[in-house]
Amino acid sequence: MRTLGKTRWLLLLLALAAHRAARAQDVIIVANPEMRVSVITPEDLRAIYTGARSQLPDGSHVLPVTLKGGPAHEVFLMNYVKETPDQFRTAWRKAVFTGQGAMPRAFESEAALLQFVASTPGALGYVSRVVPGDKVKPLSVLPPPH
Amino acid sequence: MLSGTHLLVVLCLVSSLCAQDLEGIQIHRFATQGFLFTSNNNYLSMRSSQGSLQWTDGGVSLVDSLSDHLRVGIQLHMYQLGDLGGPNIQVDWASGDYRVNDHLGFRAGKVKTVTGLFNDSQDVDAVYLWTLLPQSMYPIDNKSFLLSHLGGEVYGDLRLGGRRGDMQYRAFAGQANLDSTGGYVKQLADLGLVFTNPPGGRTYGGDLRWVAPWNAFTMGSSARVQAVDGTAPAGRLHVPPVVITSHYVQFNHKKYYAAVEYRREPINPTIIIGQTVIHSPADQHVWYVMGSYDISKRLQLGSYYSHYINAAADSSLPNNYSKDWDLSGRWNFNDYFYAKLEGHFLHGTALGYYTSTNPGGLQPRSNMLAARIGFSF
Repeated sequence: MRTLGKTRWLLLLLALAAHRAARAQDVIIVANPEMRVSVITPEDLRAIYTGARSQLPDGSHVLPVTLKGGPAHEVFLMNYVKETPDQFRTAWRKAVFTGQGAMPRAFESEAALLQFVASTPGALGYVSRVVPGDKVKPLSVLPPPH
Repeated sequence: MLSGTHLLVVLCLVSSLCAQDLEGIQIHRFATQGFLFTSNNNYLSMRSSQGSLQWTDGGVSLVDSLSDHLRVGIQLHMYQLGDLGGPNIQVDWASGDYRVNDHLGFRAGKVKTVTGLFNDSQDVDAVYLWTLLPQSMYPIDNKSFLLSHLGGEVYGDLRLGGRRGDMQYRAFAGQANLDSTGGYVKQLADLGLVFTNPPGGRTYGGDLRWVAPWNAFTMGSSARVQAVDGTAPAGRLHVPPVVITSHYVQFNHKKYYAAVEYRREPINPTIIIGQTVIHSPADQHVWYVMGSYDISKRLQLGSYYSHYINAAADSSLPNNYSKDWDLSGRWNFNDYFYAKLEGHFLHGTALGYYTSTNPGGLQPRSNMLAARIGFSF
């Protein structure tokens, strides 16, 4: 009985850990299929989503888009932009109201974001999952060279 | 003429309550209403010792990305701050922005002027915790003059490679005129110089900052040269080119924010009224240190100390210094609507006071309560 109880606790902890890991890795970076690159660094992602850069290292123009909210949006911002949704919105408001940028286009749903990315050259976004049939190119996120 | 109240109503009602994107044209709006109460003296040309609501501003911006490289936009702005500002709608900025690549871009038209951490965004209340930015460096009664210039700028981002972060640069040149309804013009009017055309002059300068690879840390320096000349029926104003230098460090990580900035502004204006020539040299040393913490998603708390002295004069006299302790709080009702409350402990009378609203003279110390509500979408 005691062993069963321990096993239950272990299973519960494992499930929780798996859930947290799944949440942390839940975001897939997606790009328009015509995009030449297949990998991107976290630094490039951050620079693109903070507006510091509008090009990939190969020189091609990139058009970042976002979700309006939800877990995937929060996970993406925390993991790659290192900002909360509030900080992200504030930074872009500052850029917009000082004439230094235009806010990335934001979508209510992942389906709408995927559709836009699939049909817009240079578009870059993120979703919680991709299924066969989605006409986007998943990008690998690699650590930068040391 | 469209009044401030009308503009606010238009901002609130026109279209839906969210930023719009009409076939690529983005429309964003903000509006705020403030309240100021001081224990002594009337501050910022408001009758603040009786409690004043004469503090309103609002703006609307339109941005259109015409191509991957070219963007155009305009921002209209209105403010009323005591006797300053008024119902006239000003063009905050209106520019074309051509970004050749990440290393090189150009803006031309009426563009925001970069100086230090906040100069170009000091009118965007929604992005700050503070009800009033440190007034020693970002005087709200003169923001329209300092905010932007007619001309252009070149900008870019240079990757340093590996984990060395980025260097970001901006360099500008053009013409900046005093705001005919702003603080400097009012102070000159109090002296007897009433300008029919706002004084102004050439300006140029730049900013160079290092952004750490983890984005949390920024440090940099700015320089700005500004000359001002103007002729009024009763006399004239001449300010030879002033070199304003600014150095700053900013840290922003998760719930923590901290910044420190130092600026020096030696100025030697000459005011001629009839046969009287007034030289009033000043060597302004200004700094502030600030910090804040996000208690929760909705609540932010912070504090700053702001310091100003005129080293060219007897800086022990209250009219040659200004020291301000601030305690601030901000509550976000939702993504668009917020309220702020702030306490100030002001020592010295060098900044923010006008003879016309303090005819009985000034007390060297005053406490102040400032509150502001606003929305931005």
